[in-house]
Amino acid sequence: MESKDSVKAPLLQCKQISKSFGGVEALKKVSLDIYPGEVHGLIGANGAGKSTLIKIISGDITQDSGEIVFDGAPLSLNGPQDAYKLGFSFIHQELNLVPKFSVIENLTLGMEKETKFGLIHWQTVSKRVTEVLNQIGLDLPLNTIVDTLSVADQWLVSIAHALMRNIKMICMDEPTASLSAEESSKLFKVIENLTSNGVAVLYVSHRLDEIMQLCSGISVFKDGECVLTTNKSKTTRDELVTAIVGRKGTAVVQDATERFKSEKVILSTKNLSWGTRVKDVSFDLQEGSIIGFAGLVGAGRTELANLIFGVEHPDSGNMELVGQEYHPKNVADAISSGIGLVPEERRSQGLVLKDSVKFNINMLNLKSIRFSKLFGLINNGKMTGISKSIVDRLQIKTPNVNTAVINLSGGNQQKVVIGKWLTRDLKVLILDEPSRGVDVGARSEIHKRIKELANEGKGVIVISSDNEELPLICDIVYVMAEGKIVGKLEGSEITKESINYKSYEHILQKNSESL
Amino acid sequence: MEKEKLLHNRRRTLLAISKFGTIIGLVLMFMAFSIAVPNIFPTLRNIVNIVNQASLSAIIAGGLTIALIIGEMDLSVANVASFSGVLVTGLMVESHVPVWLAIVIVILVGGAFGFINGLVITKLRVNAVVATLGTGSIVVGLNYAYARGVPIASGVPEAFKQISLGRFLGIPNNILIMIVVLLILYIFINHTEWGFQLRAVGGNPSASRLSGIKVDKIKILGLTITSMCASITGILLASLIGSGTSAAADGYLMPAFAAVFLGSATLKDGDFHIVGTLIGVLFISIGFNGLAIFGVPTYVQYFFRGGILILAVGMSSVARTMASK
Repeated sequence: MESKDSVKAPLLQCKQISKSFGGVEALKKVSLDIYPGEVHGLIGANGAGKSTLIKIISGDITQDSGEIVFDGAPLSLNGPQDAYKLGFSFIHQELNLVPKFSVIENLTLGMEKETKFGLIHWQTVSKRVTEVLNQIGLDLPLNTIVDTLSVADQWLVSIAHALMRNIKMICMDEPTASLSAEESSKLFKVIENLTSNGVAVLYVSHRLDEIMQLCSGISVFKDGECVLTTNKSKTTRDELVTAIVGRKGTAVVQDATERFKSEKVILSTKNLSWGTRVKDVSFDLQEGSIIGFAGLVGAGRTELANLIFGVEHPDSGNMELVGQEYHPKNVADAISSGIGLVPEERRSQGLVLKDSVKFNINMLNLKSIRFSKLFGLINNGKMTGISKSIVDRLQIKTPNVNTAVINLSGGNQQKVVIGKWLTRDLKVLILDEPSRGVDVGARSEIHKRIKELANEGKGVIVISSDNEELPLICDIVYVMAEGKIVGKLEGSEITKESINYKSYEHILQKNSESL
Repeated sequence: MEKEKLLHNRRRTLLAISKFGTIIGLVLMFMAFSIAVPNIFPTLRNIVNIVNQASLSAIIAGGLTIALIIGEMDLSVANVASFSGVLVTGLMVESHVPVWLAIVIVILVGGAFGFINGLVITKLRVNAVVATLGTGSIVVGLNYAYARGVPIASGVPEAFKQISLGRFLGIPNNILIMIVVLLILYIFINHTEWGFQLRAVGGNPSASRLSGIKVDKIKILGLTITSMCASITGILLASLIGSGTSAAADGYLMPAFAAVFLGSATLKDGDFHIVGTLIGVLFISIGFNGLAIFGVPTYVQYFFRGGILILAVGMSSVARTMASK
């Protein structure tokens, strides 16, 4: 088998692909070959560059340098129709199905259908659809509405959608993230069936056991580089973990400026639970301290923040704020109790983009800038003054306070979101992915402001999937996985490697349990 | 790089054209009509007449601007205005309610319709187009139930008719009322806490929610104001024509929408605002007036109406897309 594979020409070749975003190198000369009939596993920690590579292959973004060759010809795609024409299909975590359409309607979406007198000839169409469904072992009435199917079956329908055309390669992003073990094994059978017909699969996953079971070729990404290319007969699980995490942990030295320290607990949670997303979370946040929450995407960190900020209500467990019971009824309640949230998606959740810096900064501050309660008239001078002082304090780079925030850079937009909270008397500030999509310079500035806030005696919670970020600013880091806190790191224990290790540890434990 | 810059510049020019397009069009139209019919169109009498007629449109369109600022719609405004005219005359003629009290009651009733629109949209989560289409039909039903479709004409108090017909310092009252209403709306939107929240909710509802703004309440407030403005237009129209007629204000819906959308592409990048709305109303009124003076057949006026609406919405959304690039 293997010798034959090596003789075969690769179906997809990525040659020396590089890409950077605002000075941050996301991919550094990455090369990758995928052969027909092969499942190729792509693994690596958050931010290792996996999704960047996939986005480049699918034509969502363009590489800075390097070349992609597909089936012997240079590849450049303009959207999914283009991809289908070449025999390429991408299945993302958010499946591209029309939920209210039936299976047959979804499978034939965007395809030319047999017609008779201009009407769709469903009999012919359904024959073809049934063939494809048989091929992947999905036994369903064709008029089943996709919405009513399990996630696993929806995945299979997505694969069937790809098979409706002459497909040569399918790229799957975290297919088993929300599948049970049984459903996963059903999916794997389908994948094996596909590859035996010569289809290549690029398989992105965090789950090492799946990779070991399924993939013949394996590539490990770390910090934008392909650090290991191997195959399953050659490698071991330990080797993969080492490649993902890196060999030695070096403690990051935080800059030595004196930090305000206090033993006084501002916020504490006890056994906080919410559905299956947050399980039994307990932690204490001290005055003037910065705690971090690390973990893989979907570990339940944003959901935890939502519970504290009153967006959602816990099913069980308690929270205390400065020694008093704290159960926010809604966001307004949380804000008036002194909690702030800088949300994950700053553009869609944090800002009114078309409005000015001044407008956005004062969004939380209306009561203190009005002349009187009666008519609610706003003191424009005061509003401008407050905005200017915050622009100065955070060094927001903007022509003036009347500039629309849409015209600012990502880093400065983020500073505006943080600035909103500085207009208020805050006890705790939660920042969800504060430096995502922000260039290096702005990132270190944001870190500086976060430390300043802590030095003023506020409690700060930072959620970050960037494991290099947390060691730079946090006093304590909690690692979450599947809704639970699975690790606590303090002081010099906080390194990128230890965070990575803790994030994967429970997966390894799970594997050994299942073996 | 060069090409990108060129594209960018072209986009900027287009944006500038659309920003001042309505105003330029207004001036050009004014000049064209003045040259074509110099002894009728550019007279003080005709101009005051145009603005006087425009004032009723401006008030209903000013209210509609608020509904659109919060990102909703109100298709029931014209129906509310028609019913308001019938109700206000009915209260005075049939129930002998004093003029001022009748007006206050009707404005409150108008507000109640907006309040109900708001509840249906926010609490029942019905799409605004559908919701206000529904309430609009119900309002028409109430209108006919109240007056059986018969105009209430005889016995309308002279004092009520004088509201629209009277002048103050030589300026028709309707124009003065319009100025006051639009000024209040302008200050409300741009200089008050609630106006601030209206704009935030329209700009980004989820960011507003995460900033502790009670999004539903603000939407209900906005739609209530929209309907109250519609009521004022209906009352003034009844005063102007001296009767309460079932479908009197129904024709105000389309021009009002066209004016608000024209206004949103005027001076701003597709943002709804009161000054723009006023310019939009003047544009449409001058167009209608000029066509009428020319004696253009009725069907052409309908073409003008429909064409302007499509052009206005198109300009507004193109401006918005270009501004966000």
